[in-house]
Amino acid sequence: MESMVCNNRRLSISFVSASVDKPKVDEGVRNCRTIEIYPSECRQRGVTYQAKLQATITYSLDGVKQGTVTRSIGSIPIMVKSVSCNLHGLSPKQLIEKQEEAEEMGGYFIINGNEKVIRMLVMQRRNYPVAIVRGTWKKRGPHYSEFGISIRSMTKDQTTASMVLHYLNNGTVMVCIYHRKEMFYLPVVLLIKALVPLSDREIYAELIRTMEDDTYFTGCMQNLLRQARGYKLASQKDFLRFLGEKFRVKLNRAEWYTDIEIARFLLKHKVLIHLEANEDKFRLICFMVRKVFSLAMGKCMPDNADSVQNQEVLLPGHLIQMVLKEKMQLWLLTLSRLITKKFATTSSTSSYRNPLNLMEVQNCMSRVSDVSQGMSYLLATGNLVSSTGLGLMQFSGLAIIADKLNFLRYVSHFRCVHRGAFFAQMRTTEVRKLLPESSGFLCPVHTPDGSPCGLMNHMSYLCEVVTHPFSVDHFPALLYKLGMLPPNSKDVRGAEQFYPVLFDGLLVGWFPVNEAAAVANRLRLKKVRGEDTVPENLEVCLLEYTGKATQYPGLYLLSQEARMVRPVVNLTTGTVEMIGTFEQVYMDICIIPEEAHDQTTHQELTQHSTLSAVASMTPFSDFNQSPRNMYQCQMGKQTMGTPCQALAYRADHKLYRVQTPQASLVRPHMYDYYKMDNYPTGTNAVIAVISYTGYDMEDAMILNKGSLERGFAHSSVYHTELIDLSKKVGDRSVNVVFGVNHKDARTEKLTVGEDGLPSIGQRLVDGDDYYSYVNTDTGEMSIVKFKSLETAFVECVRVLSDSAGKGRFNRVSILLRVNRNPIIGDKFASRHGQKGVCSQMWPMESIPFTDGGMYPDILFNPHGFPSRMTIGMMIESMAGKSAALQGHVYDATPFTFTEDQPAVEHFGELLRKAGFNFHGTETLYSGVSGLQLEAEIFIGIVYYQRLRHMVSDKFQVRTTGPVDQITQQPIKGRKRAGGIRLGEMERDALLAQGCIMLLHDRLLTNSDYSQAYICEKCGSLLSPVLLSSALSSTHNRYSKKYWFCTSCKTGDHMCLVDIPFVYRYLVNELAAMNIKTILSVK
Amino acid sequence: MSETPNSMMSTPSGRTPGRTPRPGEVPVPGQPKAMVYICGECHQENEIRARDPIRCRECGCRIMYKKRTKRMVVFDAR
Repeated sequence: MESMVCNNRRLSISFVSASVDKPKVDEGVRNCRTIEIYPSECRQRGVTYQAKLQATITYSLDGVKQGTVTRSIGSIPIMVKSVSCNLHGLSPKQLIEKQEEAEEMGGYFIINGNEKVIRMLVMQRRNYPVAIVRGTWKKRGPHYSEFGISIRSMTKDQTTASMVLHYLNNGTVMVCIYHRKEMFYLPVVLLIKALVPLSDREIYAELIRTMEDDTYFTGCMQNLLRQARGYKLASQKDFLRFLGEKFRVKLNRAEWYTDIEIARFLLKHKVLIHLEANEDKFRLICFMVRKVFSLAMGKCMPDNADSVQNQEVLLPGHLIQMVLKEKMQLWLLTLSRLITKKFATTSSTSSYRNPLNLMEVQNCMSRVSDVSQGMSYLLATGNLVSSTGLGLMQFSGLAIIADKLNFLRYVSHFRCVHRGAFFAQMRTTEVRKLLPESSGFLCPVHTPDGSPCGLMNHMSYLCEVVTHPFSVDHFPALLYKLGMLPPNSKDVRGAEQFYPVLFDGLLVGWFPVNEAAAVANRLRLKKVRGEDTVPENLEVCLLEYTGKATQYPGLYLLSQEARMVRPVVNLTTGTVEMIGTFEQVYMDICIIPEEAHDQTTHQELTQHSTLSAVASMTPFSDFNQSPRNMYQCQMGKQTMGTPCQALAYRADHKLYRVQTPQASLVRPHMYDYYKMDNYPTGTNAVIAVISYTGYDMEDAMILNKGSLERGFAHSSVYHTELIDLSKKVGDRSVNVVFGVNHKDARTEKLTVGEDGLPSIGQRLVDGDDYYSYVNTDTGEMSIVKFKSLETAFVECVRVLSDSAGKGRFNRVSILLRVNRNPIIGDKFASRHGQKGVCSQMWPMESIPFTDGGMYPDILFNPHGFPSRMTIGMMIESMAGKSAALQGHVYDATPFTFTEDQPAVEHFGELLRKAGFNFHGTETLYSGVSGLQLEAEIFIGIVYYQRLRHMVSDKFQVRTTGPVDQITQQPIKGRKRAGGIRLGEMERDALLAQGCIMLLHDRLLTNSDYSQAYICEKCGSLLSPVLLSSALSSTHNRYSKKYWFCTSCKTGDHMCLVDIPFVYRYLVNELAAMNIKTILSVK
Repeated sequence: MSETPNSMMSTPSGRTPGRTPRPGEVPVPGQPKAMVYICGECHQENEIRARDPIRCRECGCRIMYKKRTKRMVVFDAR
């Protein structure tokens, strides 16, 4: 891969092959039964789940092969459940044996015990020339216009090279290529001439193909070729030499390469790299030239770069591959430098010895820092360090922690598609807009409100991303069979007579206009039926000539990976077909059969197929006002629920768990599809919509204390603390282990166990002994106290070893459980974006009851309905009530009820049959007086979720407490028992009210009040000092101390004043800057 | 310990709490005693001393769980 030279000898080193092992213990470790390492162990031990990367490296000198070495060049993180993972292909039962969930999905990495996900990012579609109009391009130079064709070409190994074709207002075309984050501009003819050994006439013929009648275009092309004459270069070789000479410095190739070789390298690795043959590159450039002229002349419309039609997704595997490739290149480079250095030193001393013997090379290899650190750094921090940039727009925020709060939050990490951090700063809203093109691919509901709105999208539940490319080598032959003309066919000429066929960015040929539509249909049929091994994910899109300015016409066939695809029903065959984002725009897809007309070719699988996993969990979401459904998507992800089933084997930093979750009585179809009953998030609560006692205003709700005592929404927080003594002590040479020293007097009173660790089941409050450790050399014992605002219970103590099984007793993880049963101020929400805070927990006897003896669990304020218009919640209430009465579970899939069959009628009828009021109302009796309430109260069952925002995490209160060292003012911060700042605006409010004494009290008395002496004579705050009389200091212990001004040499003018302490500090600082402060005391 | 009235009860004999008494074992005062840990994989009970490497003797598992205390744990239900 890389070559170097020294003493005029050419050294070249390259990788022959590389393979990834499975995660295993190091070789030589014999003390364990299984050598495989499983993800569960890595999570608990807080280490990285990684495997060795084995590479075979060959090296040669002056083209003579010297030797081959196979060795490990580092470890790379392994995606859980990928082919290299030890969990790959295990059955649910085996997974449980390996301490995983029965339905572990994988798709993440374990870095230092954290589960990390690589974010999917939206990228420009690969190997497709996109027509773009961008005003800033005008600034690139004289004559530059806003029109350009951008192409992001990618090879099979995910190497990227972008290129932009600029239309210049003088009728010429410039090409912009990128190398190491730098841009280079060159005239397009230069590139063409270097690519192909064709005559001007042949190049001209190819350029003007199908545009022969356009006199402006032909004129421009003639001009372009005339321009090439200006270089006074004749043959292809001359042009190559010219290019190579210019790029020699920037490409940084070994100096023995000729200019021609360097130019060929440039063309191979920087220009349209998805194509191998130079002729293909030439033809695609010609196509792009035609497209950019059409765009500039207004004959075709620009492509929308913000539409999913021109986008694809950056997959985690592809990013890893790109980064790994770069790290391996770096490894080779470092190695070759090391060998060169060695070569230089040894050859000067002895010319006979060959420094390239195996030993020395291996010695050099072991000195090269391996690729492990760079790989895990990317995943641990999300930051990418890259010299080439990898064609990415952002280098941070690439990886995030897969938070296991509940199933919905967890799953949405894997379905999230981000537009890119760059767009978050953009002030225009263009990129955030919801476009009809994205229907079925990106969920219109599931995007956060606020700053990431529209940039962070989630894929619809049926949407997939193509991960594996298909073998399409046979494809051109198939197309010829269907009547395609070869790309260089002499017959192809004349405007709007032929469609170019672009197959994954390769101009494979031309189809006559009259045949193209039939061919496209046949291809689609072959794709659906699987004939001729046409891949099932192929996109077939014929953009027809319409006589108007549309997208650039042609037959586009896309088969590569990273495309978003989704299933729909093909109405011709009646089977499921995967369609992509490019072709969907030109397809007629009906939602229900009644909508279909003669143009309709496809039908959606379900009516809610455009919704994401999280959005489709909202019951009756079609009845709700749309923003409420968006809020619910956010709240569903903040709900405390069942985070996972392998709870005993997890060491997450923080896990929330509801102790008494229930299966929902009213559920949409997707609830069962995702098996949400395995991870329930809420409780079916009896809700009375009633305003009672006024404690339920402004979204507050009253909880029934009786329900709470029976376990309603009882929860706990599991908190894991990893204690590494060697890190805590900081000095590796100091040997410390957990334990107690019986010679120490404090041991008698210790509450920790004999091993220095807390006992299982023990209750810990602030200030308790937490753990103790002993220095094995000195026997010195240290005790660490438990510090927390809350009482915790020790759930589990794990002692952790190292991967060799030789770890000392100095690394443990302690799992603590904190009880979080509902209290006033905790947040709850229904599944309709209706959140509320518990304001009171009335005793059961104060809660109104029905004549049937039912008590509601929650009193919900009726004012929550009119403005929010969450009718879905009302219907859920009725449906839940009838479900509870009949003992059924009712379906709440959106779009099942119609105007002719209203949901209210259906559930009202069910209620009426059960002997209840049709409208779901009941007569209630006051719990306080026992009198019948005049109004009938709407009461039913709604699935309620407890949100993770709890007062226990948020309350902040201070009477007295720690103060700042310098200013003596109270410190801030909840953790440090600090206060809440009374800021400028609060001060202004108090001032405006004239509450001067209140302000004085806040800002001085309760803050940094202090008393100080001032010398009235000199007005200094700093000169007075406290002295004791010289006489008394020697003889008398009861000496009299007095204040004395050091500058006036007298103590007669002392005056005691009240000042804020920070003022004294200010005066000191000013004095340090040579500014004297004089105070006049009155 | 004394500040938390309802935390762990110490053993009547006044020995340091936290250890699991084993039959026939005479505790040597001043000597670090072995504690019993459960293997995370094969659930085998292992005695591990402070200076021992952390590993299950049976299966070589590298995570050991502390055993639940046998001492009475009483919390006030107030």
